[in-house]
Amino acid sequence: MNVTLLLQLAVSGFLLGGVYSLIALGLSLIFGVMKVINFAHGEMMVWGMYVAYTLLLWTGVDPFLSFLVSAACLFLLGYALQRTVVNRIIDFPEAMQVLPLVGMGMVFENSARLVWGPDYISPRSRFSLSSLSLGDLMIDVPKLLAFSLAIIITIAVLLFLKKTDTGKAIRAAADNRTGALLVGTDVNRIYAVCFGIGAACVGAAGGLLVPIMPLSPHIGAPFTLLSFIIVILGGMGSLSGAMVGGLIIGVAESIGPELITSLFHGAGLDLDFPHTMKQVVSFFILIVIMLLRPQGIFGGRRG
Amino acid sequence: MKKTTLISILGFLILLVLPRFLSSYTLGVFILIFYYAYLGQSWNILTGYTGVISLGHSLYVGIGAYTATYLVMTLGLSPWIGMWVGGIVAGGIGLVVGYLGFRFGLKGVYFVLLTIAFAEIGRLVILHLKVFGSFQGLFIAPTFTFVNLQFKENIPYYYIALGYVIFSLVVVRLIERSKIGRYLVALREDEDAAESLGVDVFKYKMIAIFISAFMTSLGGAFYANYIYYLHPGTMMSMASSIEIILRPIIGGMGTVLGPVIGSFLITPLAELSRSYFSKAGYEGLHLVIYGFLLVAVVLFFPRGVIAYIKKRV
Amino acid sequence: MKKLSRKTFLRRPWGVGVMAIILVFPSLLFSQPKEIPIGSVQAVTGVISDIGIAMRRGNQLAVDDINARGGIKSMGGAKLKLLLADYEAKEEVARSESERLIKEGAVCLVGPFLSGAAMTVATLCEQRSIPFVIDVAAADDITQKGFKHTFRTFAISTNFANNMLLYMTQIMKEKNVSRIRGVVTNTGDLFGRVQGATFLKFVKEKKFPIDVLAHIEYPLGIQDLSAEVSKIKTLKPDVLFPITRPGDAKLMVTELYKQRVPLMGILGPGSPGLYEPEFIRDMKALSEYVMDNVPWVNPKGKMYAEVNARFSKLYPGKYIDTNSGYAYLAVMVIADALERAKSTKSADLVAALRKTYLRQDLMVGGAVTFDAKGDNSNADSAMIQIQGGAVKVVLPDKAAEAKYVFPWPKQLWDRGM
Repeated sequence: MNVTLLLQLAVSGFLLGGVYSLIALGLSLIFGVMKVINFAHGEMMVWGMYVAYTLLLWTGVDPFLSFLVSAACLFLLGYALQRTVVNRIIDFPEAMQVLPLVGMGMVFENSARLVWGPDYISPRSRFSLSSLSLGDLMIDVPKLLAFSLAIIITIAVLLFLKKTDTGKAIRAAADNRTGALLVGTDVNRIYAVCFGIGAACVGAAGGLLVPIMPLSPHIGAPFTLLSFIIVILGGMGSLSGAMVGGLIIGVAESIGPELITSLFHGAGLDLDFPHTMKQVVSFFILIVIMLLRPQGIFGGRRG
Repeated sequence: MKKTTLISILGFLILLVLPRFLSSYTLGVFILIFYYAYLGQSWNILTGYTGVISLGHSLYVGIGAYTATYLVMTLGLSPWIGMWVGGIVAGGIGLVVGYLGFRFGLKGVYFVLLTIAFAEIGRLVILHLKVFGSFQGLFIAPTFTFVNLQFKENIPYYYIALGYVIFSLVVVRLIERSKIGRYLVALREDEDAAESLGVDVFKYKMIAIFISAFMTSLGGAFYANYIYYLHPGTMMSMASSIEIILRPIIGGMGTVLGPVIGSFLITPLAELSRSYFSKAGYEGLHLVIYGFLLVAVVLFFPRGVIAYIKKRV
Repeated sequence: MKKLSRKTFLRRPWGVGVMAIILVFPSLLFSQPKEIPIGSVQAVTGVISDIGIAMRRGNQLAVDDINARGGIKSMGGAKLKLLLADYEAKEEVARSESERLIKEGAVCLVGPFLSGAAMTVATLCEQRSIPFVIDVAAADDITQKGFKHTFRTFAISTNFANNMLLYMTQIMKEKNVSRIRGVVTNTGDLFGRVQGATFLKFVKEKKFPIDVLAHIEYPLGIQDLSAEVSKIKTLKPDVLFPITRPGDAKLMVTELYKQRVPLMGILGPGSPGLYEPEFIRDMKALSEYVMDNVPWVNPKGKMYAEVNARFSKLYPGKYIDTNSGYAYLAVMVIADALERAKSTKSADLVAALRKTYLRQDLMVGGAVTFDAKGDNSNADSAMIQIQGGAVKVVLPDKAAEAKYVFPWPKQLWDRGM
């Protein structure tokens, strides 16, 4: 067992997990409050990436700053989406919710393609090639920055929900929609703001990812699935759960194949767990959690 | 004779005679309409009676396709027979999914994710099996013989696909009329009431998922010998599962003709938007339009098209 | 003289003759088609759309060029018309779209890059008896099913591997390297797997002096290669032999930089992702000295110079590469067959295609000619290297426009980026 390798993998996975957490954060809000299965989540993230990329191209502003613009743009998009489409499907059974959002996902993906073309783009920015050495370990700087900013954003959103009037209204509407209606809350507006914030989170995540991974209109779908796994793992509606869940999944996918291979070899099996199957690790974790502790790690608020 | 029965019989007769008037391409479109109507109908059996949504039904299509093909490759067994073996395997996997889902009380999005997880794991596992071609996929030997469910022209495929649809309609009818059917309907109407009356809810849900998985996988054998290439990435993907549920949802879940109507709406819609809007320089426009159409259809027909028609008729 | 009425006119033998000519002449005129439709099946949306678009452009440019030169002269200057189809990287769409093109009158199909779709379309063309010229798709299997209507202009995997070892032998001899420690990586898709496996097989069978320390495959569509590159780093290889796609190629190079993996070079055994203009644009100095063994354009070819000039003018920032080049060539092959067949009937066209001997200097390799299975026996690959921000052919010597550089003089992180 190569300990240095495993340690390096764990560190890389941990940092990447921070980014995953941010993506899942948005979904946690949307799903936790409105119970909407946002199948366009990954594609919305991709739009966030493109906004930050375009700013980089036109003004040279680094994505680690312009992610805020991505967040703002996606907030507006999310707000609009909620008021036009999501609002009408909130009370639908799950199956009927899936389709319109899948349709919107297709719209986002292909309109991004029409605007920016199909090529993979790996733009250069200030930190995109930076790394730090800690002894034998390599710390990926863009991932570190994304990780740190993700935590800051999570804390900001948590404070918003706890301290502001709108935030409290959102939490109230999430807990008891009828009750909120009865006391006069404009539930529609609350939901729209909530969806907007969720979209803003995923837009910010997209911006932060620009220095880390190549952009293309079609990279969104796997992230939607990943966010769902993380949200369930962490506990629906739990923002800290999304954070912890993301870190766990990040590490698991990174270290999983090597660890399992080492275990196989240790047990005398001449079998390698292929890297191409690394997603099986996350799905397996998902199944186990759903069976043994469906409310997730931090869940418990709602059954 | 009821009006709807008359219309159905008329429709069926028209479909029988149609092939002599249609081009190979249009026949191909009809074949896909029937194929997806069949898959949607099979999927519907699970959702219509148990209320749980499966977004991983492409797993069963894959199992059916690969099992039937494997038997052709190793034993020279005709897919006409092999498909039933595939059905048993798929039904078995369905039972596993059902056991985990129903026993552990997974509902709503949890069940959806369970089915997705199984489908994805299945896809990844098959993707790594050399015997099924791994990343290269499996090229099906073109023999164009009836025994191998292969033909040169589209007309035989058309009738077989139509046969699949009729078969699914018959199965659904038989289920509804049978003793099992009575319990399943009770389940659909009110699960808690059924349970309090002593119905073994778990057992009947398992029956529903077995039948659903079994039927779905039979379609896989057809697909393999029509498309001549199998790859888990395209046929066992989430996108593929979504294609399967599109038709019954839009047509009307839990109804007998819903998947068929839905398929007649969706498949030509996709074809038309592709041929009209797939212009040079605007690649992807047809998918944007298709996406908007999906949203629009669900917003306008939230209970499915059939419910809308029923209200008006 | 008796009045020349119609009846009497027709009683004269020459009357019948004249009548016959008058009746037949128009149909003689109209039997020459004014327009010959060819169907282009490419994936312009979906996961490989960047390649699909490049290929559609290659198909279209060839059609336009041939028409500008007077069309199919042996058929009265009939112009080619390219019917477009997008199969979205899905086989069932490839099938129905091809069926549509055939219905719209396509006399021949060209495409599709993905081997799975190629198989589906080839089967369909066999069923409908329509010729099909595969511009790019490397899976050997396609031409091993006994299809009579399928032809392939692209090289097959064994060809790639053969040439790779040939070039490696030369490089190692000239640079006095006796053994190379290498890691082979590939994307988890058909081409990646086949290329990787064939390369490894050849190395093993010919007992080539490359120590393969590991063979790493990663999922298609992967967005993070840190785990894989960490593993590569621990193995301390001399050379990386990657088979990538455009997305993960950039990811790989970036990650190698960040993790400071020292190498003598990156040598693709035959890989997309390492030569596209987008790769050079985004990686800049990091793309320098990357080598790849691909069926490339012939830099010394007159046809190449002309076609590339037109292509780059139409699509600024782009140039003719492996995929667009073969897409262009395939249409030329079809036009050439039409010229010789003098007919658009399938049987005539297939017979003409079989006898193809098309001299060309657009792509590296000799004249296009098909063997019994339909493969282009003269398809060849060249070793290219990125030098000074441009792709240069460095081997074989007779087609080289520059000398290869190996090992690379500066590691990725010493290049001022």
